[in-house]
Amino acid sequence: MLRNVFTKTLWDARRSLLGWAVAISAVAAMYAAFWPTVNTPAMQQAMRNYPEGILEAFNYNDLTSPAGYLGSSVYGLLIPLLVAVLAIAWGTRAVAGDEEAGTLDLLLAHPVGRTRLALQRFAALGAALAVVAVVLWLAMLAIAGPAELEGITAAEFAAATTQLALFGACFGALAFAVGAATGRKALALGASAGVAVLAYLANGVFPQVEGLQWTRDLSPWHWYLGGEPLKNGLQAGDALLLLAVTAVLVVAGTWRFNRRDVAV
Amino acid sequence: MTEPVILTEGLVKHYGRSRGLAGLDLEVRRGEVYGFLGPNGAGKTTTIRLLLDLIRPTAGRATVLGADPRRDGLAVRRRVGYLAGDFVVDGRQTGWELLTFLGNLRGGVPRARIDELAGRLDLDPSRRIRTLSRGNRQKLGVVQAFMHAPELLVLDEPTSGLDPFLQQEFVDMVREARRAGQTTFMSSHVMSEVQQTADRVGIIREGRLVTVERVETLRERAVRKVEIHFDAPVAAQEFAALPGVGDLRVDGTVLRCRLAGRADPLVKVAARHTVVDLLSEEPDLEELFFDYYRNHGEEGSHAA
Repeated sequence: MLRNVFTKTLWDARRSLLGWAVAISAVAAMYAAFWPTVNTPAMQQAMRNYPEGILEAFNYNDLTSPAGYLGSSVYGLLIPLLVAVLAIAWGTRAVAGDEEAGTLDLLLAHPVGRTRLALQRFAALGAALAVVAVVLWLAMLAIAGPAELEGITAAEFAAATTQLALFGACFGALAFAVGAATGRKALALGASAGVAVLAYLANGVFPQVEGLQWTRDLSPWHWYLGGEPLKNGLQAGDALLLLAVTAVLVVAGTWRFNRRDVAV
Repeated sequence: MTEPVILTEGLVKHYGRSRGLAGLDLEVRRGEVYGFLGPNGAGKTTTIRLLLDLIRPTAGRATVLGADPRRDGLAVRRRVGYLAGDFVVDGRQTGWELLTFLGNLRGGVPRARIDELAGRLDLDPSRRIRTLSRGNRQKLGVVQAFMHAPELLVLDEPTSGLDPFLQQEFVDMVREARRAGQTTFMSSHVMSEVQQTADRVGIIREGRLVTVERVETLRERAVRKVEIHFDAPVAAQEFAALPGVGDLRVDGTVLRCRLAGRADPLVKVAARHTVVDLLSEEPDLEELFFDYYRNHGEEGSHAA
């Protein structure tokens, strides 16, 4: 595990990564386990009494089917939020965090190219998201029976979880890119958190205003959930879009990192 | 003559408000220990970071081991060992994890070699780094810089944080490296850190190399404050005319003066009395520079 920057990064974060994977899956399973409670006439009636705008803002747009409920609660807000936080933290740490801590100098004084360092660090972020996605997927498969989540196949869970991981990668890439380009941790953190919030609003809140519907198409939240992967399976177009944005950000950040001074 | 190990020509680095470098010409020969001396902020670390391609020059060029640190960075850094004065690494790992990882980045370093160096420095690499004292952390830095027996050692204020015993061990390691044909480029802001090992000393001030001297020459020219305590009052005139002695003040049994160059004449005269105590301050680098400028200026006016 100490062979290169990629494996070393994962090795150093093994405990925290495990913690994240378990915590995210546990939260998801807990929410999923509420489905039998939500799926009662009284609860459905209560939900219908909420103003539609509020429900939409919280991604609660369909609570009458297991897929709709999971898409709203589990996959709709809390889990992507946690995944985004994890990805942004890793993306920030990849270059800027190390640089501000003063530990990047030593690494770069070794025969490690900057491109290789940056890409291996981002690859570690990708692997971390994959770990979280797989654990989450397994947790959902395990809870599906007891929680009466009928009608969602393993492939559809996999599709939603894959798009969730790509959604995380997108914000991780933004934090990575800003950090790699500037070497500033606070900027990387702030910019990506800000964009994540804006993207969320662009998906659920702005479109409620007349003439702002178009903002939804620009939001990674929409690319992630808009096609309802839990009902419709993997949305190749959305997945590719998330992947493409991620790739562009990683390439741009790495390119800039190669050309600038490393801060003391 | 063989190609220099480090060669810089008109190296300039501007950044932000800090001074950086203002045209540095440096030549470090193969096999020598080169002391790179200057006050804090003179540009020592900037120079070293340029040589390692951590930062890029505004103008001028640098060659390390015959190659461009930017274009052939990997090849250059494979043959270099680097130690920063404030050696910082992630404290959650053990020394072993760090040293094995860094060794692997260089294609692997035998465990026996790490053991040998760690034993020599009395370092326990199985401990988590955050539980180590600052001195022990610095030892890890020394081990990683020396463990692959690099052709060129680049050491930035290396002994800060090491206790006197380890400083001596470190001096021995640098001397051994020299005997093994390795080249050492060592920066410092105190003369004593380099004078035990260096063959030549380059003095940098405000981003420019002011002078390069053999270390003996520099030591002879250094000005230090000296204080001698006698058991009985002494007469000032006995010492006033001695070569190198200036600013002489005698208060009863205590003599204070500034001493330039060799201490021999002063010591010989003091030895006629009973010396209770003798204090000699570290030669002040600033004094050294001013001294240099003064002499340099005089030569200039003579020529004109």
